[in-house]
Amino acid sequence: MATKACVPRPAPAEPRSIFRSLLLTLPIAVWSLLMFFHPGTNADPKSRIAATITALFMVALFFMMMRTGSTYRWRRYFFVTLGVLFPVGFIYNIVAMRGTMGIPVEEMIAGRTPFCFMPIPLLILPAALTRTLVFPGSIVPGAGAAGHGIAAMVGLWFALTLVLGKGWCSYACFFGGIEEGVAAIPARAKFRKIDPRWRYGPWAVLLAMVLLSLALFEPAYCMWLCPFKAVTEYVAARNTIGLIQNAIFILLFAGLVIALPFLTKKRTQCAFFCPFGAFQSIFNKISAFEVRIDQASCRPCLACQNVCPNLSLTKESVARGEALMSCMKCGACVDACPRQAVVWHIKGTQVAWKPERARLIFLYGAWAMAIMFGGSVVAQGIFTILHFV
Amino acid sequence: MGASATFSEALVLGLASGPACIAACGPILVPSLLTERAGLRPHARYLSVFLAARLMGYLLFAAVAWEIGALISLAPGPRVVMMGAVNLSIASVLLWYAWSAKSLCGQSCAGEHLVEIGEKENHRAAGPGALGLLTGLNLCPPFVAAGVRAAQSGSVTGALLFFFFFFLGTSVWFIPFISFGCMARNQAVITVARMAMALIALYYASLGIAMLIGRKAYGY
Amino acid sequence: MKLRAIFGYTAASATLLAAVLTPFVLMGYFSNGLAALPLHVDEVYTGGPKARSVQIGDYSIVIHRPVRPHFLQSEKPFVQLDWTPVSALPAHVSDMVNIDGRGQPDVLVSFDVPKDPKYPLRVDVKPLTPRYQAMRSVGKDNFSRLIVRVDNAILVRVPLTK
Repeated sequence: MATKACVPRPAPAEPRSIFRSLLLTLPIAVWSLLMFFHPGTNADPKSRIAATITALFMVALFFMMMRTGSTYRWRRYFFVTLGVLFPVGFIYNIVAMRGTMGIPVEEMIAGRTPFCFMPIPLLILPAALTRTLVFPGSIVPGAGAAGHGIAAMVGLWFALTLVLGKGWCSYACFFGGIEEGVAAIPARAKFRKIDPRWRYGPWAVLLAMVLLSLALFEPAYCMWLCPFKAVTEYVAARNTIGLIQNAIFILLFAGLVIALPFLTKKRTQCAFFCPFGAFQSIFNKISAFEVRIDQASCRPCLACQNVCPNLSLTKESVARGEALMSCMKCGACVDACPRQAVVWHIKGTQVAWKPERARLIFLYGAWAMAIMFGGSVVAQGIFTILHFV
Repeated sequence: MGASATFSEALVLGLASGPACIAACGPILVPSLLTERAGLRPHARYLSVFLAARLMGYLLFAAVAWEIGALISLAPGPRVVMMGAVNLSIASVLLWYAWSAKSLCGQSCAGEHLVEIGEKENHRAAGPGALGLLTGLNLCPPFVAAGVRAAQSGSVTGALLFFFFFFLGTSVWFIPFISFGCMARNQAVITVARMAMALIALYYASLGIAMLIGRKAYGY
Repeated sequence: MKLRAIFGYTAASATLLAAVLTPFVLMGYFSNGLAALPLHVDEVYTGGPKARSVQIGDYSIVIHRPVRPHFLQSEKPFVQLDWTPVSALPAHVSDMVNIDGRGQPDVLVSFDVPKDPKYPLRVDVKPLTPRYQAMRSVGKDNFSRLIVRVDNAILVRVPLTK
């Protein structure tokens, strides 16, 4: 998977006119107003300022997507911002509530452990077999700051997955932005040769964690492996094994989220480890949108394969004219192709027939979801920062 | 009449415990099955060896424990040490299994060789045999319950028969695993299975170490 | 081919519609749907549903239904007792508790109530009937035998004999 010596840069596309770009951005601007300023939103001045900054930020990014015709770069600005600001707001709230990032047993018994989307695939089998949710949270919001409860997060996840499929990993996940940001720092990758079999890692982790969660009746990934406990919360260590568990997630975070993305310029945690990402890949099969390759235009320079942060393009898949089911729809390959052979595509239609239309329909849905969910998280992070200013 | 009632009880206890057994054995059985070549016969053969070895584990435990009078005194201390050793052994076998399966990775699903530990063909049964024996020695709560009940038998033969019928009851739940043979095998499936085995092995290793050094497995 | 394209655009439009409906309809629909399912959080965490309450002076003891962990779990059976409110508890609590409501006390539970809420708790449980196990515990051994302060209550989980 080494980079080819001379990869032609994509020819700069003619930018769309400002007027047309504004026109296309208008629905997103209206949506932003609806999401951030509807009756019932927090009227606190700092909250209003945070909402305004976020709305302008999201609208501006969408405008640039329309103006330049490229997606990846502008989406990445949002995604990295989300990845950085989510821990800011979350950690602040957690520490304000309980004084520590560590989850004490008391909070687990009280059902106040915040629920994120990662354990969803692990809960399915125990719930199906025994009607029990093996997570120390609350199904609906209870006393104290438990977030919105397990039902709310699962409902949100399902609705967003219907729209995004595995695009969740590019437009909704509040963890992936950290490594995407780190991967963007160096100009060139230090390690370019990556064994393609590491791509199967997320599926292996998913299989192992699903089986272990059923055998031990607990969210095994959360207990032992989740690297993002380093930037959210973790079970407070009370003995040697607790310390070992905490050491594991710190090492995984340092390795998979910081070091390896820096060295490879890939989203290594997502590409090689995340079991939720593997689970979301299944939903790419029912998504109406995908990335395809116009074989008539393609001269396999493999620029698309080299830029894909998730290793979702291989020589074989390029020859077939498609990305693998792990494609996160980030747009990197589309923007990188020097011949515009890699295109957004609506299933059932002819490949490369009006790809911009496919892109627009996808982006309206994806960006609407990004504003609704990620935007609220970004606004919360900005509000937290303003709180200290 | 008394004997048949006892063995019916063992059978029913086994049937009731079956779901717990397959959930507990799942992390070991599923990835190792996925490294077998496709087809119902290879999977039926694998499961037969696995279950036979599991039965050996049951009977071995029953016979040895009865002889040393330990069936009814499954004290937590020795039990934890034994489970720790079993978990470490499971981890070792899984890691060895995951490594030995690499020979399947470049082949199509029509590959000739079964997964084997060691190089010789007549060690073909070693993998599922070792795993079956170790899962058979795994002192899960239903197994302990069966042990306590078997101790009330008048003789070692009675205890062995009780465990045999208990084993039959649990084994019924393993039959559907033969259907894994219908799944095609390719590099992706085998690589996923190998990686999963390695991860699960690390998990069992950490649990085993935790048990042997007398620490609780979790941080709370 | 044209039919497939029509299906494709229909699916794409439906996706867009789903996006618009998500914050107003879909999210709530799916969340309420899940909440309406007969699911419950593992009782090993929650302590099980409340069975009854016994008033002792200014405080009460809430007795939960015994939790018998599932066949897939390795936790032991227990019953949770809540002393609440903490502010009304004396400096030393020693209560005989009739857990199963059969008229005679089942356990004698004794613990100190430190003024500092962060001070580790220690409990002494003496079984008065064979259904319950003795326990001397500091803090939180595991989910099936512990003493913790949660909000305005002190929770004791008494292990059951099998």
